[in-house]
Amino acid sequence: MALPLSRQKALREWKLYFFIIPSLLLVATFSYFPAASAIYHSFFDWQGGDNKQLIGFDNFRRAMGDQVLWDSFKTVSILIVFNLFKMIPSILMAVLIHRLKSDNAQYLYRVLLVVPMIVPGLVTLFIWKFFFDPNLGVLNNVLDFTGIKSLLVSLDGFFGWGVFFDNVPIGWLSQPELILPALFIWGFPWIGTVGVLIYLAGLQSIGQEVYEAAELDGVGPFQKFLYIELPLILTQVRLSLVLLIIGTLQGYGLQLLLLGDAGGPGGRGMVPGLWMYNRAFIAGEFGYACAVGMILFVFILGLTYINNKYVRVEK
Amino acid sequence: MSGALKDSVGSYKQKDWPKHIIILAFILIELFPFYMMMQVSFKDNASFIQNPWVPSPPYSVTEVYLAADGAELTKDRTARWTEVFTASVKPPLGDPTFQSGELRFDLSVYKIHNWGFGLALIGPYIANTVFVAVTGTVVTLFLAILGAYFFARYKMPFSGVLWSAFMVLMLLPGVANIVPLFTLLKEMNLLNTLWALIIVGIAGGQVFNLFVLRNFIEDLPKDLFEAAEMDGASHFKQIVNVVIPMSGPIIGTLAILSFLGKWNDFLLPLIVLRDKELFTLGVGLIYLDGEYVKQWGQIMAAYFIASIPLIIIFLFCMRLFVRGLSAGAIKG
Repeated sequence: MALPLSRQKALREWKLYFFIIPSLLLVATFSYFPAASAIYHSFFDWQGGDNKQLIGFDNFRRAMGDQVLWDSFKTVSILIVFNLFKMIPSILMAVLIHRLKSDNAQYLYRVLLVVPMIVPGLVTLFIWKFFFDPNLGVLNNVLDFTGIKSLLVSLDGFFGWGVFFDNVPIGWLSQPELILPALFIWGFPWIGTVGVLIYLAGLQSIGQEVYEAAELDGVGPFQKFLYIELPLILTQVRLSLVLLIIGTLQGYGLQLLLLGDAGGPGGRGMVPGLWMYNRAFIAGEFGYACAVGMILFVFILGLTYINNKYVRVEK
Repeated sequence: MSGALKDSVGSYKQKDWPKHIIILAFILIELFPFYMMMQVSFKDNASFIQNPWVPSPPYSVTEVYLAADGAELTKDRTARWTEVFTASVKPPLGDPTFQSGELRFDLSVYKIHNWGFGLALIGPYIANTVFVAVTGTVVTLFLAILGAYFFARYKMPFSGVLWSAFMVLMLLPGVANIVPLFTLLKEMNLLNTLWALIIVGIAGGQVFNLFVLRNFIEDLPKDLFEAAEMDGASHFKQIVNVVIPMSGPIIGTLAILSFLGKWNDFLLPLIVLRDKELFTLGVGLIYLDGEYVKQWGQIMAAYFIASIPLIIIFLFCMRLFVRGLSAGAIKG
């Protein structure tokens, strides 16, 4: 803890305040001011220029009836469910690495897991976009090669989706029905470097004697996971759960780059953040964009509140 | 280390190799995109379409066709692996005009100039990004160390209020800010400059770095500071001579995280930058993606070049990467 100071000593140390002033000024200018400005401007009809007109709650009223916005909230909820599912491989991976007997192998795998981090995220994203390409793309090639494509086509015939056809390349990012599946496949096998490392750090606190005791009781590998490992990394799992939900809710970079600023064909990939971006920088409706941002902000704040209240995360 | 004393936690009954296979399978799929990036970067579009999966063999094929008017037409292409193994050229299926084909050893099937092209495409962007990321990281950490020292050293009047003013920002989502931030930068005449990215990056990095560094500096032994103060060291001197030498690894980890963040950033540059000369890597890659006729080889080479600075950092600080990320992840 920092030492408490007497008033006199504190007065003598007044120069210390100079240490915090630069950070404070920066944060005030580039974090607090824009936030306040967003609240203020959400009540205006504003095109980004000097002219603005106070319109009260009209922006919010308009947002209430905005079908695109509510559809985008639906889409983002589906994406959150996807992302929850995508947490599983990371947990599995961490448990598997943790159960290895050799320390050297454990370290080697950790290093290999960090390798994807040294490729810029944007590059990974564009490589995946290239994978999704209907004609040249790797994904369609793999599906053809393994015969999954013909399986999909026959399933399509059975259920009558009208999405997959023989001899027609699958347009992952150009067929409206396939946007969400494409966003689901994206990043396969969904191993997050930071996630695995966090879980591993949590697992390391389990002592050998716990395992030995379990062994004596004849506990199987799956039960070991359920009763020993999962409870111990639950804190970390919760933490990444919370970060993931909030991150997905406010993220729109992925959709912007994969699908464009209109959310792809039929706007199926539109998320609230992207709609805000679209309104501001494509349509020039800055006031309305601020209002959309505020609505999103309220959602996130609500989630943060619930999580602080019900999901205890010990540091 | 004897077998009995190993601090492994696995079952003694279970074998390790099934786990190795599963882990390796996952990691191989995980690394597959980067394998594709590497091998496609040496191909042109024609040889990529002919053989998308594996690197080309170092042979090329010259085929002779009979054109409609009786003249001979020669075509060059990269050999297939089957052709190299059987040492014979297979004609395209059912093409009656095919006359003969010749297989010859040829290193020029590897398109080294893709890399030159990629470098020319992306080199300036990398230079801009290095400037932004390095300046931003250094200043971010410098200011954060000063601030963290302020909070960690003494409990000054108002420091509690100031601390919560910073920590509240952790809960504030950045997403609602971007529109007003744009107009703010416009009013400050910072649009279309690299300084906008640097300053906003510095401001954005303060909260997290302050949080980690304050906890760290508070854990340093108080005697060190007192001894330095006895010797008449000013606060700034104490930071330079006590704090910075003692917190090397944590500063290193934070620097890497901050650098990575700035290297990967594309939303702010996309909004702020207009001139092609100022593009950072993020916008540059997006711009590259928007071109109509794509030479995938060149683009993949450019992607690979974009990763080189990170690879260099990784090679030098692997330990910091792996350890620091695990440790930093728990704290954050």
